[in-house]
Amino acid sequence: MSERVTTQASDGFSLQIWMLGFFSKYGFLPVILVFLCIGFGLAEPLFMTGANALNIIEQASYLIVLATAQLFVLLTRGFDLSLGVVVSSVSVASAMVMVMVAPEGEGPVLLAVGAGILAGLALGALAGGINGVCVGFFDINPFVVTLGMQGIAFGVATTISGGFPVFGIPDALLDTFGQNAVWFGFLSPPIAVCLLVLVLSHLLLNRTVFGRSLYLLGANPRAAEVGGLPWRRYNMLAYVLCSSIAAIGAILMTARTGTGEPSTGGGLVLLSIAAAVAGGVSLRGGEGRVIHVVFGGLLVSILSVGMNLARIDSFLQQVVLGLVVVAAVFLDRLRLRIRV
Amino acid sequence: MSSLSQTADTAATGRSQFAKRLLVFGLLPLLMIALCLILWMVEPRFVRSANLINVLRNASFLMLIASGQMMVLIIGGFDLSVGAVVALTSVVTALSMTSLMQVFPESHLLVILIGLSAGLAAGAAVGLVNGLVVALMKVNPFMVTLGTLSIASGLALYFTQGVPVYGMPDLFTRDFGRLRLLNLPIVIYVTAGVLILLWWMMNQTKFGKYIYAIGSNAHAARVSGVKITLYIVATYTACSLVAALTGVLLTARVGSGEATLGSTLMLESIAAAVIGGVSLRGGVGRIEMVALGALFLALVTNAMNLLRIDSKLQTIVIGVVIIVAVGVETLRARRASR
Repeated sequence: MSERVTTQASDGFSLQIWMLGFFSKYGFLPVILVFLCIGFGLAEPLFMTGANALNIIEQASYLIVLATAQLFVLLTRGFDLSLGVVVSSVSVASAMVMVMVAPEGEGPVLLAVGAGILAGLALGALAGGINGVCVGFFDINPFVVTLGMQGIAFGVATTISGGFPVFGIPDALLDTFGQNAVWFGFLSPPIAVCLLVLVLSHLLLNRTVFGRSLYLLGANPRAAEVGGLPWRRYNMLAYVLCSSIAAIGAILMTARTGTGEPSTGGGLVLLSIAAAVAGGVSLRGGEGRVIHVVFGGLLVSILSVGMNLARIDSFLQQVVLGLVVVAAVFLDRLRLRIRV
Repeated sequence: MSSLSQTADTAATGRSQFAKRLLVFGLLPLLMIALCLILWMVEPRFVRSANLINVLRNASFLMLIASGQMMVLIIGGFDLSVGAVVALTSVVTALSMTSLMQVFPESHLLVILIGLSAGLAAGAAVGLVNGLVVALMKVNPFMVTLGTLSIASGLALYFTQGVPVYGMPDLFTRDFGRLRLLNLPIVIYVTAGVLILLWWMMNQTKFGKYIYAIGSNAHAARVSGVKITLYIVATYTACSLVAALTGVLLTARVGSGEATLGSTLMLESIAAAVIGGVSLRGGVGRIEMVALGALFLALVTNAMNLLRIDSKLQTIVIGVVIIVAVGVETLRARRASR
């Protein structure tokens, strides 16, 4: 009799420990996500269908790619305000290259798509390189550098496109990377690319000296300096990676809409930071994992899809999103307290 | 021979003193004078009084917002919501004035006063929330004000459904909005008054000293008995109140309540503050330099308009100017600390 009581007690205890461990590792977000899904599902049965779930994951995958890009610089105590406009200028530039090589979808289509993607990635890496050199080697505040780059990239995007969307992209891009394309019979391209980015980023962050150095750089810059790491170069590389991954996101988004959009990027900066931080990435650097970004991206897209289905006014959605971001960060503080 | 070396000596000390002064004040004033001179030579229209007044007026709005932003930056925080506060204030002021016009069609002054207080209160409320959440819940200010940015601009858009609100009393939009004293717009006087008040607060009062102390070392300030929570809440509220005042002035000038007013002011205010030498790490910054930073940005924009540079290219130039200005300041600070 007494034996049974003690086992029950220890079971309760171990459950408690398991929960503490779970919360301190992943935060409250997974639980909130489950509750949100149940809530939206009760309010609107359409929400719980498989098609809608796939829709949410697809919507989320674009944001998750951008938030993963942001993760690399957030880890170093920086952030990239230029991410959104880099997305716009990559979208415009790659679309223009494609149209130039294969006007009206005629001519060497595959070459055009390849050249466009390469040009976009190169432009992203260039923007990131400038950011990185200014932050890493000249010690200029990342906020200011990326703010300036925001102005520069916005000017570039609107100047080369004249401010209008770029039409006439070869169908081959849409057929390979668009939302309606299917890989190997079951994979949707944005989800597949997003998974690829996530896995590679995870490996890079956890299995390489560079990745681990980013965590040290954010947690204790002085230690990274004294420890003899080439931290300036690593810091620069973080920005290059950030903009390059953002460029991948930009190409996916170009394939979704079929046009090079000079104005898509505006709201994406704050959304990408919000997704990362709501997921549990610290703005103080040195803390955050790829899985956090996934949770954060899912949160934002579940909210927006759910609110659309519930027919909530789009302006009120913005208010709700703001409330949720603050609440998520507050809960994240609680998570840190549990760990201590 | 000796006199020669002496003159060389004094010249050297003179030069080093000049260099020292440069280190203290930074390159900003010199850069601005050079810019003005070049503009004057290239484009004589620059020195027309109408243009100069235009520059001053545009700079005034930015100076107001940037000085509020400066206080928050000095205390070690961040306010992304200032632009949204401008929009919310504008919408609330306009909506309450137009609805009150139907209740009190006769007494325009009363309508204006109530409308103004409603707008300022709405703006200050955002700051109060910012301050309380930052100070009590210890949430990162970047995220808090990002959240309130979304909330405030969402509310402003929701109230108006994105349509400008017309129908405010003429006394407010025409007589006050276009009022000139000694040929200068009223905005310039209001800005001068607020800047002097804030200068006094930051430099002559306990409030200001504590703000600098908290920004340099929050822990030390707390241990020495400073009521940190109170000062953080007060600072965020003051910042939003100044932003709300800017919103009211902009509304009077535009003549309608608009939910998109001030969307660029958030980044510009931080840019002006940082160009003026405010540290984003807190504890450092002077209001007169921030005002110079705002004036500098307004000058650069005006110069490009006069030289007919394409507006799309202008954002590129502003971006480069921000990075270079802060880069030079960073180098200077590194030299000075050696």
